[in-house]
Amino acid sequence: MSLKSKKEPQPQPQRRVFKVIVIGDSDVGKTCLTYRFCSGQFQDKTEATIGVDFRERMVDVDGELIKLQLWDTAGQERFRKSMVPHYYRNYSSFQNLPAWIEECNKYCSSSGGIPRILVGNKSDLKEKSEVDTNTAQRYADSHCMPLFEASAKEDKDFANIEAIFLTLAHKLKCHKPMMSGDYPSMKRATVLSIDKELVRKNSDSYCANC
Amino acid sequence: MMKNGTKRKVKPDRVVKRFCRKGIPERYRARVWMDVSGARKKMKKSQKNFYQTLLEQPNQDADFEEELTESIKTDLDRTFPDNIHFKNGIDSNKSKQKDLLNILTAFGRHSPTIGYCQGMNYIAALLLIVVKDPEQCFWLLCALIDDILPAYYTKSMIGLRAEMNVIDDLVREKFPEVQQKMDVYKVPWTLVASKWFVCLFVDVVPTEAWTVLRVWDCLFFEGSKVLIRAALCIIYNVKPAVLSCKGMPDVVQTFKDVSKNSAILDCHLFMQQCFIETNPLTRADLKKLREKNRKLIEEEDEKYSQKQRKSRPSR
Repeated sequence: MSLKSKKEPQPQPQRRVFKVIVIGDSDVGKTCLTYRFCSGQFQDKTEATIGVDFRERMVDVDGELIKLQLWDTAGQERFRKSMVPHYYRNYSSFQNLPAWIEECNKYCSSSGGIPRILVGNKSDLKEKSEVDTNTAQRYADSHCMPLFEASAKEDKDFANIEAIFLTLAHKLKCHKPMMSGDYPSMKRATVLSIDKELVRKNSDSYCANC
Repeated sequence: MMKNGTKRKVKPDRVVKRFCRKGIPERYRARVWMDVSGARKKMKKSQKNFYQTLLEQPNQDADFEEELTESIKTDLDRTFPDNIHFKNGIDSNKSKQKDLLNILTAFGRHSPTIGYCQGMNYIAALLLIVVKDPEQCFWLLCALIDDILPAYYTKSMIGLRAEMNVIDDLVREKFPEVQQKMDVYKVPWTLVASKWFVCLFVDVVPTEAWTVLRVWDCLFFEGSKVLIRAALCIIYNVKPAVLSCKGMPDVVQTFKDVSKNSAILDCHLFMQQCFIETNPLTRADLKKLREKNRKLIEEEDEKYSQKQRKSRPSR
């Protein structure tokens, strides 16, 4: 294990915590994505996530150690709608993703929008891909978010997975705190992710940081 | 209670209740569950071959059928992937995956407003391992979801969300130091305990420890109150660990480690504690608590949707 979290120097009294929620349809790879990032490993046999799960990892952003908390949610709609009301009170499929973003922007307008990232997971299954990179890129561009294509499965793609969350952490660092009532050390942002594997229609996942 | 070889129906009386609490012997378990839960009665009252008919007749709503099948199939490979009965894939003769698919599909068609909810896969799979006959498993699942459990699996999951508030109320009363920690670190019970109820403790406590089956023995006879008892009993057992936690991640991890807690894995001890350490807890009080919290959540939802309507009148 040579994750950056290991080279923690002196404990800082006020370490900042960034929360990230990963949401998306069942079986797009939310658990694998967060597990790979936090543990460095790929889980070959995952069980369906029920409710919400939780992982975290320290990251170094421009010399500051920041704790990234990743919230891994159940994919099924009824869980998203009812179980995670504090973080997420809506849902989306690929088609109504635009509406979701619009609503998200409206909700967060006081802070000038939430930083977002779009992730296409399972890029190792390229031949099964239904969403081609151009479409995804255009979509990401039109909503001012970076696009990442990655595979939680491939060892060689680990750097790519790290880049997703480090980019997010970086964006968050430059972002203003969202609500005045929040801890001054806490920040919020957003990542959107779609699944490259399109055996299943409407595979999209969305990560929001609260 | 039961002589070997006799097929007499098990009458749900006080003696049987005591036996259920002490654990139903393995070879009688399926039969007793069928009798005390009311599943056998349901099966007899229904039209002949109801289960088979459900499997042969898809719902007329094609979209419903597609979503039902799709969502169940997504979870098949993710249900007990290490278990010998489920790891061989749906095409294998040895696999119970096909039965699992059938039971869940039949249930979805029988109860289309609920359809398939994640968590049912674990319940049906454990039923298959214990009871074996798919038709009986289907009726036990119906007895559970239609009669025994609160509305955990409906689209709004109202029963489950109310249950989380009930746990909050009861922990505040019985283990106030624990609730204080949960409040300080802002850990909602939803985060740690929703899976306990949705999966009826399957995949929370390892099945090999028998604790889950012992809880189910009581669940089928006495109803869903034992789930509250079991949840409180878990909290009672992890209390020292929770009190030494230094933040939210710590607390969440402590509750994940429930699967390794020796007192919880000791099914005899755990069941004893269940009916001692959680007292007093009357049926009437629990009913009141559930109703109160259900109402609170419904009001909250109503307020939220009103706010939504106001903020986007154009849609």
